[in-house]
Amino acid sequence: MSLLTATSVRVRSAGAGALTAAGYLLLVLVAAVAPGLFTDRDPLAARPADRLLPPGSGHPFGTDELGRDLFARVVHGTALSLEAAAIACAIALVLGTALGLLSGALGGRVDELLMRATDVLLAIPSLLLSLALVTALGFGTVKAAVAVGVTSVAGFARIMRAQVLRVRAAPYVEAARAAGARWPAVLLGHVLPNAWGPVRGFAALQFATSLLSVSSLGFLGYGAAPPAPEWGSLVAAGQNWFASAWWLSTLPGLTVAATVLAVNRLAAALPDAERP
Amino acid sequence: MRSRTVPGACRRALPAVLSVGVLALAACGSPAAGGGGGAGAAGTPRSGGTLTYAVGTDVLCADPQQAGNGDELAAARGLVDSLTAHDPDSGKQVPWLASSWEVGEGARSFTFHLRTGVTFSDGTPLDAQVVKGNFDNVAKLGAHAVQATSYLAGYRGTTVVDPQTVRIDFDQPNAKFLEGTSSPSLGLVATATLAKPAADRCSEGVIGSGPFTLERFTRNQQVVEVPRKDYAWAAANAAHQGPAYLSSLVFKVVPQDGVRSGGLRSGQFDAIGAVGPQDRQPLRAAGYQLLTRAVPGLVYSLNVNVSRPATADPAVRTALRLALDRQQIVDTVLGDGSKAATSVLASTTPGYTDLGPKLAADPAGAARLLDGAGWTKGPDGVRTKDGTRLSLVAVWFGGAGPVQTSLELAQQQLKSVGVELTLRPIAIAQAIATFKAGDYDLIDGQGSNADPDILRTYYNPQGLNVVRLPAGPLQDLLNSQATEADPAARAQQVGKAQQQLVDDGYAIPLYEATGVIGLAPRVHGVSFDAASRPQFHDAWLS
Repeated sequence: MSLLTATSVRVRSAGAGALTAAGYLLLVLVAAVAPGLFTDRDPLAARPADRLLPPGSGHPFGTDELGRDLFARVVHGTALSLEAAAIACAIALVLGTALGLLSGALGGRVDELLMRATDVLLAIPSLLLSLALVTALGFGTVKAAVAVGVTSVAGFARIMRAQVLRVRAAPYVEAARAAGARWPAVLLGHVLPNAWGPVRGFAALQFATSLLSVSSLGFLGYGAAPPAPEWGSLVAAGQNWFASAWWLSTLPGLTVAATVLAVNRLAAALPDAERP
Repeated sequence: MRSRTVPGACRRALPAVLSVGVLALAACGSPAAGGGGGAGAAGTPRSGGTLTYAVGTDVLCADPQQAGNGDELAAARGLVDSLTAHDPDSGKQVPWLASSWEVGEGARSFTFHLRTGVTFSDGTPLDAQVVKGNFDNVAKLGAHAVQATSYLAGYRGTTVVDPQTVRIDFDQPNAKFLEGTSSPSLGLVATATLAKPAADRCSEGVIGSGPFTLERFTRNQQVVEVPRKDYAWAAANAAHQGPAYLSSLVFKVVPQDGVRSGGLRSGQFDAIGAVGPQDRQPLRAAGYQLLTRAVPGLVYSLNVNVSRPATADPAVRTALRLALDRQQIVDTVLGDGSKAATSVLASTTPGYTDLGPKLAADPAGAARLLDGAGWTKGPDGVRTKDGTRLSLVAVWFGGAGPVQTSLELAQQQLKSVGVELTLRPIAIAQAIATFKAGDYDLIDGQGSNADPDILRTYYNPQGLNVVRLPAGPLQDLLNSQATEADPAARAQQVGKAQQQLVDDGYAIPLYEATGVIGLAPRVHGVSFDAASRPQFHDAWLS
C-alpha cells in the first residue's frame, strides 16, 4: 500500500513538474512570437531619468543604466535567443544525423574516417571551438548559432551511428534487402525511422545545451549587434553592476536557467509519454 | 573598453596597429588619470610597506621603450628616468636627467646637459655615450617601439659633445621631440640592456636609473618592483629627491572592473586603475580616494567618414554635432569625474582650445538644419533625401563597455531628430582591415598622447585618416604644426586645426577619456604624470 502511494505521488509530482515546464515554455514561445502581449514598452527606448530603478511596479525587472525597461528587453530578447538555439540545434541535428547514418550504413573506410573526425571534434572543448569559429565568422546571432551548431555535430553522429549499427542487423532490414529493395531506400525507409528515437530525445536535450552555449557566446560579446537585447548579452551587460544593481544580471540569468531547466524537464518526460 | 585588449605583440608589429590599439584600448579604460596633484599628501611620509596596484589592461612587456598601452607604461615608468619631465600642473618641461637644454633654430637640434652623479642600477654611470646609445637603439628597434620611434621622426643622429653634453639632430623640424624626452617611451636604459634582443628586454626587464628595479615580471599577471636605496635624482617637479618610500610596488593585472573594486574594498589591493563608472560613487561613499584626470590626446569622438554619401553633406555633419547631448551621455553612462568634450583634444593636452559653446546640445536646431538641407522625414521617422536614407553605421573596437553604452544612448538621441544609427562592433584584429575598407560612416574612438601631434596621426591623409579626407587646408595645418619650432605659433596652428575639425564636422567630440584611480585611505602621495598615468616614487603608506 505504502509502495503504491509513493509511486503514485512520484508520478503525480513528475507530471506536475512537466506541466509547469510546458506551461513556462509556452509563455516563452509566445514571448518569442508576440512580445507585445507581455509588454508595451520599447526595449530600446532610453530614459536616463529612470536609470537603475530596482524591480517594482511599472518595471517588473527594474531598469538598466540607460533607463531601459529590463523586462521589455528580456521579453524582446526571447526571439533572438531561441532562434539562435534552434538554428544551432538544427545544424547539429541535420549534419550529425546524416554523418551518423552514412557512417553506420557504409562502414569500412568511410566509417573509420568519419568517426576519427568526430573523435577530433569531441576532443576539443566545445566552447573553445565555438569561440574559434565565431572569431573567424564575425559577430552576429546567426554566426554564433552556426559556431555552436557545428561543434555539436559529433554527439549526434555518434548516437545515430550506434543506432544504425543496431537496426541494420535487424531481421526486417535483412528481409527488405532480401526482397530486393535498394540500400538507399532501405536506409531511409527502414533504418532511419527505427534509429530515430534516441536522436530525437538527444535533440531536445541539445536544444537546452545550445541555448546555454549561444548565451555564453552572447555573454562574451559575440552575439547580436547592440543594442538588440539577447539573453546572454543582457547578463554580460549587468556584470559590472552586480554590487549596486543586482537585478541587471540576475533576472536575465534566471530566465536562461529556467528555460534550460524547463526544456530538460520536458526532454526527460517526452520519451516516457511516447513509450508504447 | 574594459577587458578586451589588443595582443601586445601584434600591436608592436605595425605602427598603424599601435594607434588602433590606443583607439581601442581607450575603451579598455586604460591607465590612470587624476587631478594632477598627489593624493592625501597630508602628514609626514614614512618608509616601508607594499603597495599593490591592480590594472585593467594586459601587461605584456617590461621595457618602457617597447611598452604599448598605458598600464605597461605605468609599470615600466619607475624603472627608468627621462631627460626631462613634463610638469602636469604648469604644462612645462622641467629638468630631470638633463639639468638644462637648448633647442636649436627650427627645432632640428636639441642639446642636453646631463646631471652628474646619476648611475644605472648595475652601477654604470649616466653619460653622453649611453644617451647616444639609447637614441640610436630606439631608431633600430623600429616596429618594436612604435611609441618611442614616433618621437624620433627624421632622426639623423646623436653627437657626444663632451661626457656630460649630448646633441640630437633631425633632418626635419621635430616639434614634439622635447615632449617625447619626458615620456617613459624614451626613458634611458643602461648599455648592458641595449645589447639585448628586443624580446628579452620585454620578458626580463631593463636596467635603468629609476627609483625602482624590477624584481619579478610575470607576463600578463604581475610586476614586482623594489626601490633603489641610493636613488637621489628625481625630476625637478617630484615631491622628494631621494629613494622611494615603498618597500615594494606590485602591479597586478585584473581585467574585470568589479574584481578590481572588490579587491580594493577587501584590502587585497591598495590602489586600482580604470575604476568603472558604476564603482566610483560607491567607493567614494565608502571612504576611498578617487583621483581623476582627463587623459590628454584625442577625446572620444565620432569620426565622420566624409567619403560616404550621407555624411558627405556638411549639413548632416553639423546636425550630428548639434543633435548629440554630451552632458546626458556623461551623466548617464560615465558618471563621477568624467567630462563632456569641449574640443577634439582633451583639456589636459598642450594646445587645447575650448570650443565648448559649439558643442552644446541643440536637437531643434539640428532638425531645422536637416529640414533646410532637404532631408525630410519618411513614414518610419528616418529622414531621406533623393532616395538616400539618413541611416549611418557606427563602428568601434573592443566590444562591450562604456563606449558601446554611450553609443546606444547616442543612437536614441539621434533617433529623435530622424537619424538612424546602426551599431557595429569590430574585433580589434579587424581594425586595420576596417580602416582600409572604409565601410563605416562613423568611427568611435580615442587616442592617448601628451602631444597635440596625435591630431596628425589620426586625421592626416598620410596618417590613419579615419575621416577619409582628401588633401586640403586641414592637412597643411597638421603638417605645419609638426614642424613649428615656436610653441606659441604651434599652439595657434593646433587651435585652428581643432576648430576646423569641429566646424567642418569631421570629428564630433563626445566626452573626455578619464583616468580614474581608486586608492585605499592609507595610500598617500600617488600622483599623475602629464599623460595621466600614476607615479609611485612619492607614494607612501600610513
